[in-house]
Amino acid sequence: MASAASTSISSPSFARTHIKSGDNVLLRLPSGDYRNLKVHDKPGRITLGKFGSFQQKELIGHPFGLSYEIISEGKIRVREQETMTELEDTSATNELINDGNFVQPLTYEEIETLKKTPGVHSSEIIKMQITQNANYELKSEYSKEKYKKRKEAKFLQGFSILEPNMFNICEYLFSKDPQRIRGIRADSLGQMMSFANIHPGARVLVVDDTGGLLVAAVLERLGGEGRLLTITDSESPPTYHVVEQLNLNTTEADGTMTYLNWAEIEEEWAPVETYEPEEYRTHSQKARSEKRHARAEDLRKRRDEFWAGEWNALVVASEYEPFSIIERVEPYLAGSGSIVVHSPYLQTLTDVHQKLRAKPQFLGPAVTEAWLRQYQVLPGRTHPMMNMSGSGGYLLSAMKVYV
Amino acid sequence: MFSQAREIAAGDVVIVWFTRESLKAITITPGEELNGRFGAYRHTDLIGKPFGSKIGSRNGKGFIYVLRPTPELWTLALPHRTQILYVADIAFVVSWLGIRPGSVVIESGTGSGSFSHSVARTIGKSGKLHSFEFHDTRCQTAQEEFAQHGMSEYVTVSHRNVCKAGFDLEDVVDAVFLDLPAPWEAIPAAKLALKKTQSTRICCFSPCAEQVLRTVSALNDSGFTSITMYETLLRTIDVGSYPPLKSVGTVAEKLKDADVKREARRVKQIEESAMRAKEKGRKKAAEMGGQEMDIFGESEHPHGQKRKAGEDREANGQSNTPQEDDSEAGPHTKKPKPDGPSPLTLEMVGHLPKSADCKLTTTSTGF
Repeated sequence: MASAASTSISSPSFARTHIKSGDNVLLRLPSGDYRNLKVHDKPGRITLGKFGSFQQKELIGHPFGLSYEIISEGKIRVREQETMTELEDTSATNELINDGNFVQPLTYEEIETLKKTPGVHSSEIIKMQITQNANYELKSEYSKEKYKKRKEAKFLQGFSILEPNMFNICEYLFSKDPQRIRGIRADSLGQMMSFANIHPGARVLVVDDTGGLLVAAVLERLGGEGRLLTITDSESPPTYHVVEQLNLNTTEADGTMTYLNWAEIEEEWAPVETYEPEEYRTHSQKARSEKRHARAEDLRKRRDEFWAGEWNALVVASEYEPFSIIERVEPYLAGSGSIVVHSPYLQTLTDVHQKLRAKPQFLGPAVTEAWLRQYQVLPGRTHPMMNMSGSGGYLLSAMKVYV
Repeated sequence: MFSQAREIAAGDVVIVWFTRESLKAITITPGEELNGRFGAYRHTDLIGKPFGSKIGSRNGKGFIYVLRPTPELWTLALPHRTQILYVADIAFVVSWLGIRPGSVVIESGTGSGSFSHSVARTIGKSGKLHSFEFHDTRCQTAQEEFAQHGMSEYVTVSHRNVCKAGFDLEDVVDAVFLDLPAPWEAIPAAKLALKKTQSTRICCFSPCAEQVLRTVSALNDSGFTSITMYETLLRTIDVGSYPPLKSVGTVAEKLKDADVKREARRVKQIEESAMRAKEKGRKKAAEMGGQEMDIFGESEHPHGQKRKAGEDREANGQSNTPQEDDSEAGPHTKKPKPDGPSPLTLEMVGHLPKSADCKLTTTSTGF
């Protein structure tokens, strides 16, 4: 399996280090929000609301992962990343600081006019607000820093581009709408890939009701070698939107990927035979018939491939009952193959765990939960982040053995 | 990396699963034998068996599973030469660093090779792992191990103190992982090794907060940005091992039962006492020459009866048992003590029709 396709993949799209025309890019705005868009090497403005707008082709050829400021006329400039500074400890407290309208004499209208004035840079607006702020000098150095950061999040004209790796993509999707990816947090996704032993050359079965998060993660780890078969609940070929974020070319994705639905994997089931006339009256009739034959042939090949078995892993994040999935797929898993199921609900997995324990062909079933805490680490200001998700979901893992 | 064939062959590394807690890595060597707690297994007998088979011991008393090695199983079975990283940290670091097939990665130190195996698995043959270890013997052992596991083609282990001598690599790697006592000393060298034309990532693993803070300043001084810290854990959920809990409804029923029994016991005691008094009276009468006594009259005077019951028990050496058969003490004595487990009460309830229930309550005193 692995040795059959050992030619190394070093095509530029798998390297994915620089932005090329047609790529999907993830932008992070100064406010912390994300924007997901496609860039092309042709004229066209990308508008980021109050954070400005710029010409999309300016980005082509740049490495992923940089921060930019919008200067003027849609032009952008790489922003020198600030390094952290040690802040002086002062005796300042908020004892004498009172809030109210008098604190900031600069009005909303005045700021808006400034923003529209050509030649006035966003950093100058922020500076003006600081100098006019009645309380600024009373603040401690830490508080001043926080005030500056808050103003930057509001007025800075710029953005950052994220590297298109699965960790970033998953964080973006999780922050946007965790339910759409069934609550899979980036660290849980990483654990799934480890538990399932996904590596170049592996043959992997995936049941994905997350819009393609699992499919994308597995594709990334296969790197163009091996096989990925998804089992779907639909009559038509599946579409996995998340995969687009990886900017793979079609042959890379399609060459590794195939699919079947839950009826098609059943060995006893045969698709209804289509009626074929003895003779074709027209040319197009014949062409249609040939197309039907080709489709039937393609399906037969895909089914044979699935039934040939020896799949190395089953990875599941599905809206359906996991044991019903495992039960149907288990006969086609290779000995020592991995089973990994994610669920946002512990109860679902403990039920499956009990069922697996009763069957000798499943070795070492375990239910685990990923726990993660992120910290801000600034000199003198190290603390856990304020807003963190409580859970990235639960994982059930087991191995298939021959008994 | 490791055998990908369906069946086990001579020379293959195999993970032997005795129990969930006991795994062992062996290299299939014809002529050798593996000894488990419940019997022995000939290596030759494993050859030709598919990975994932269940194998019985030669004496028929035990069995093992022979599994295909994965970095995760290897981590559980590997011989510890140092403190190692486990799957939660490894999985997180690999995915945060964006390591994928084809990546070029630096790791230092090599340690017991737990992290190295995961990286090797993910980068594949098109990638490259440069591993550095400053301990000579550990370095050699790792080299031998990686060769045996079929990783040498794309994993190199160098004997080098990177904090002093650097990596001797420039502008070639995508990601750096430092698991060193003083990672801050190796950061300038790491910066040199990282690719200059793209964004790259570094991760330093430290158990102590003070180490983290020193590392953060060193990273900052070298011009790294977006510095953050994560803490991660893998919580294993104990499924089904908690005791099944009884409903308080059963307690209520038990208490009600006890109440009925207590009353029955009291009645019985009164009867017995009356019998004894009658007997006594009879004896007395016999002694006094057939004089009659009004025994029924006495049973209608409970205070006198009570004293006698108490005396009886004292005579049997059970004065310390709760006096819950005290019929006159009022409702407050009906404490939730359904099992009132004195041999005396047991003996007495033995006469009741529901004796089986009573035995059950006397054994469960854990309320």
